[in-house]
Amino acid sequence: MTPSDLWPRLEPLLSRIERPARYIDREWGARHVTDAEYRAVLMYPDTYEIGQANQALGILYELLNATPGVAAERAYLPAPDLIELMRAEGLPLFSLESLMPVSDFDLVGITVPYELTWTNVLELLDLAGLPLRASERDDSHPLVIGGGPCVYNPEPFAPFFDALLIGEGEDAIGEMVAVHRRSRETGASRDELFMELARLPGVYVPSLYEPRHDEEGRFIGVVSKAGAPVPVTKRVVADLDAHRAPVCPVVPFVDVVHDRFAIEVLRGCTRGCRFCQAGMVYRPVRERSADAVVRDALAGLACTGYDEVSLTSLSTADHSELEEVLRRLSRRLAGTGVSVSLPSLRVDAFSVDMARLISGAGRKSGLTFAPEAGTQRLRDVINKNVTEDDLIATVTRAFEAGWRRVKLYFMIGLPTETDADVAGIGELVSRVLDAAKAATPPPQRGSVRIGVSISTFVPKAGTPFQWEAQIGLDEVLRRQRLVRESMPRKGVELHWHDAEVSFLEGVMARGGREVSDAIEAAWRAGAVFDAWTERFSLARWTSAFAQVGIDPEDIANRERPLDEPLPWGHISSGVSTSYLIRERERAYQSRTTPDCSFGGCTGCDVCTRLGVEIVTGGVRA
Amino acid sequence: MTPGEYRLRVCYGKTGRLRYLSHLEVVHALERVVRRAGLPFAITQGFSPHMKMAFGPALPVGTAGEREYLDVWLTRYTEAAEVLAAMKRVSPDELAPHEARYVADGERSLTAALTIGTYRVEVDGKEIEETQARTALLELLEGGELVTERKGKIKVFDLTRCVPKDLRVTGRDGGVDIELAVRMGPEGSLRPELLVRRALPPAALQAAAVRTTRTDTLIEEAEGVWSRPM
Repeated sequence: MTPSDLWPRLEPLLSRIERPARYIDREWGARHVTDAEYRAVLMYPDTYEIGQANQALGILYELLNATPGVAAERAYLPAPDLIELMRAEGLPLFSLESLMPVSDFDLVGITVPYELTWTNVLELLDLAGLPLRASERDDSHPLVIGGGPCVYNPEPFAPFFDALLIGEGEDAIGEMVAVHRRSRETGASRDELFMELARLPGVYVPSLYEPRHDEEGRFIGVVSKAGAPVPVTKRVVADLDAHRAPVCPVVPFVDVVHDRFAIEVLRGCTRGCRFCQAGMVYRPVRERSADAVVRDALAGLACTGYDEVSLTSLSTADHSELEEVLRRLSRRLAGTGVSVSLPSLRVDAFSVDMARLISGAGRKSGLTFAPEAGTQRLRDVINKNVTEDDLIATVTRAFEAGWRRVKLYFMIGLPTETDADVAGIGELVSRVLDAAKAATPPPQRGSVRIGVSISTFVPKAGTPFQWEAQIGLDEVLRRQRLVRESMPRKGVELHWHDAEVSFLEGVMARGGREVSDAIEAAWRAGAVFDAWTERFSLARWTSAFAQVGIDPEDIANRERPLDEPLPWGHISSGVSTSYLIRERERAYQSRTTPDCSFGGCTGCDVCTRLGVEIVTGGVRA
Repeated sequence: MTPGEYRLRVCYGKTGRLRYLSHLEVVHALERVVRRAGLPFAITQGFSPHMKMAFGPALPVGTAGEREYLDVWLTRYTEAAEVLAAMKRVSPDELAPHEARYVADGERSLTAALTIGTYRVEVDGKEIEETQARTALLELLEGGELVTERKGKIKVFDLTRCVPKDLRVTGRDGGVDIELAVRMGPEGSLRPELLVRRALPPAALQAAAVRTTRTDTLIEEAEGVWSRPM
């Protein structure tokens, strides 16, 4: 297709690796724009199976390919078997569509979905033959940009990127490309390009912000250069309906996670759970209208041929017109074998009723709910507005309706947690199990299962808990024992999120720019695919931190005074710090805060600061 | 057997890069083609309803197929040519249907009926010479047996039964092409590529690329009498 087509070098490797269909392109919906003067490659820092269904990349892929003169392609991190062969054969990282070396593109865009994929970002850059750090790249290299959920503390990975977009990309991506194209035409230098990019709202150019430290090495804030703005405030789309959901996305050949047509029905969630970064940084709530959801769901199914459509969001049951949407979809899809799925359910009877509406007779898969904490006191601390009565009533309804398994999510290590709260998890599960059995006909009671998933709370940037200490590893193990002792055994399947993984997540989530040295050291020592349990090694990370002189426990396990400068202090999601502090104080008083999309404004300041407002089709209930 | 259902047989190719699809991936991709084409497909009854569709013998990852078959049951009679055109519009070029015809609902299943596969194995390699390749292959066949081991399971193929016709070796610039027929069955089918790899000296194959294509999938009416299923 192009002179640099790497197919002749890739094909001989395909018979020696697993699932070669990941690397051959040609999927339905893949775009092949040939007459482009500007080429972008969008990359996901994990394998095709994990990254293919990413909705953000899907949106950008469509937008860029619809831009005159621009082509966008995809690239993923190959699985370890192919990486090994590529390194042995000197085959560089390639895009799927034209099999062009990634280093030949004008723009490389990498989404940063999760803390433990940062070593994969380095693996991508290295396989592409690109210098890892922005400071080592020059005009001969593509512009390397990033974005995604991790950018609300971008510091640990900031030096690897030329620019990062904070927030939503629908409008900003076109602006960034336009600036880059213009700078190419005028022959501007890379520094001039960076300054231009930094003028775009929401664009963070790390090299223009220098972290400063006092004589004792304590971080005291960043200094911006060349008039780069402080803070960098996130981009946000005012109206979701202004951007139609991609209805002809790529349909993979191989089995991938979330292998279904997904439509984003709303963005943002203002339930106000104080531990939840997504709930803070993706504000305000903006719903897609019922008409648009139904139209695009049907159009997407027709274009892709999928037999499942998922209505995605942070809290789909909150959509004010969900019932209408589900009724219309059920009617239109009757007899086609197409199912509708809801990824997240609230703990209430309405959610169960909605699940009933779409589940037919099967009730095969279980329902998932997240009470998060075992006692009412602690649920009030985190502002999870769910009572035990709600949970029991919801589970009863689900088992009466024919479900035989539910999954419950809990966290340990939440601020103010006591041993009584920890033991409360098992006690709550016990009562849930009793309620589930009571609601099940006696002959079927043996098949009742409660899945319980326990993770360790990791304080995140941009939340009311961003100053909190994460509990240490020994304490996690002690509290896990407490949970185990309090948990009924029969009928319960207990799962843990690995304590060591949570610790590293905590360091990454709130570390400063110096952590980038540790990421690079760990990667050089062989860390990659850290999110895959069998490849994760805390020892490798511990020695990486030691090698670069960082105390990871000081980052994760220490409570920070409110007046201590935070490494992400120059990045703003629009939520004011005074709101975060107020919410933290209310947490300590076990006082809850209502959802502003249901009632009145609670003063997080996002709407005024970003010039947007809550968009709902009807009244939320 | 179901009244009001029409069994449509479709012949399709799995070619080019899509030779690297697994059988399961082909099945999923073609189900999605049927949905995209908006065909009035029938749905199986039962606990987990799915599209009523059946496939011929599976092709391994990496092996192309020029005449592969599937049956799909439709609930409304639509001209086969119309169905074919609708499917073509929504198929990747390298997994496209090229023939469609209704068959009697009582006909044997594709897997039961299609027991013969004809293959072309293209071997690239400067050191591989036609006569030598032919002699090596014939010698292997005369041995009468081929033993394979895969994931600890040992299989013995009776070559006189598995390779029912004389094979043909044709030399060309930069390699040889081998054409042969293989008898397939529920007990497992001999992979032609394996036969070739066993016959040719390992040194010659080291740098060589081997591409296998199933050129036809056939019904064996009687010993040596083969026909297409549509």
